[in-house]
Amino acid sequence: MTLFSATALHQDPGLQPERTVMSWDRSLLALIVTAAMFLRWYGAVGPLALAPALLSAVAALVIHWTQRHRYGTQSAGIARERVRADAWAVLWLMTLVTVLAVLGIGAIWWT
Amino acid sequence: MTSPEDAVTPSRGRLASRLLAGGREPDPRFTLANERTFLAWIRTSLALLAGGIAVEAFTGSVFDPLTRKVAGSGLLLIAALLATTAGFRWMRVERAMRQGRPLPLPLLVPVLATGGAVVAVVLFVFILMRPA
Repeated sequence: MTLFSATALHQDPGLQPERTVMSWDRSLLALIVTAAMFLRWYGAVGPLALAPALLSAVAALVIHWTQRHRYGTQSAGIARERVRADAWAVLWLMTLVTVLAVLGIGAIWWT
Repeated sequence: MTSPEDAVTPSRGRLASRLLAGGREPDPRFTLANERTFLAWIRTSLALLAGGIAVEAFTGSVFDPLTRKVAGSGLLLIAALLATTAGFRWMRVERAMRQGRPLPLPLLVPVLATGGAVVAVVLFVFILMRPA
């Protein structure tokens, strides 16, 4: 099967699944940049500074690995006019960013 | 009672059923738009997070150590506040859409706008007053 004969997963002219998946991609990139910023404390605390960076990197990988599934689910949801709200993804990302910010505050005052 | 439509469409999921109980499923486009709005807030929060660390790390020639720490951790505090607020706002909007209520106002927008304007004015004055 060639690319041109592939069936579209949805017919939404607003390309909602594409836009949402790209929005996750942009967030992933922002997460990687933020992860790198934590290496600023490597000189002060050594390998411990890698912990938040690794945490962010793992989160970025999880986002990347779930992108295909996310696109499929959202496209199917648009096609059947009902999509499942991704409460898990929202909760873990909210928690991760909050924890990173708190870790940053701790690092500023206690290093 | 389960309608034939419910039998073929996915359920809300265990967590979503608990957090977003009741009401009717909204247009899927609105749900995805809400998710993108949440992600936009998260990126704003991450930008503040990276900015806060950068202020603390790279402004040694401009600010004294205490000012650097206060400015950096202030930005990180706003980042934490933004991320938490973004999650709760996502949930409130999802609930409002399911129950046919008006969408809640983003209270953080005027706070951020005012804060940004104040910081800009303070920096402007600081640059003007700074001895050459």
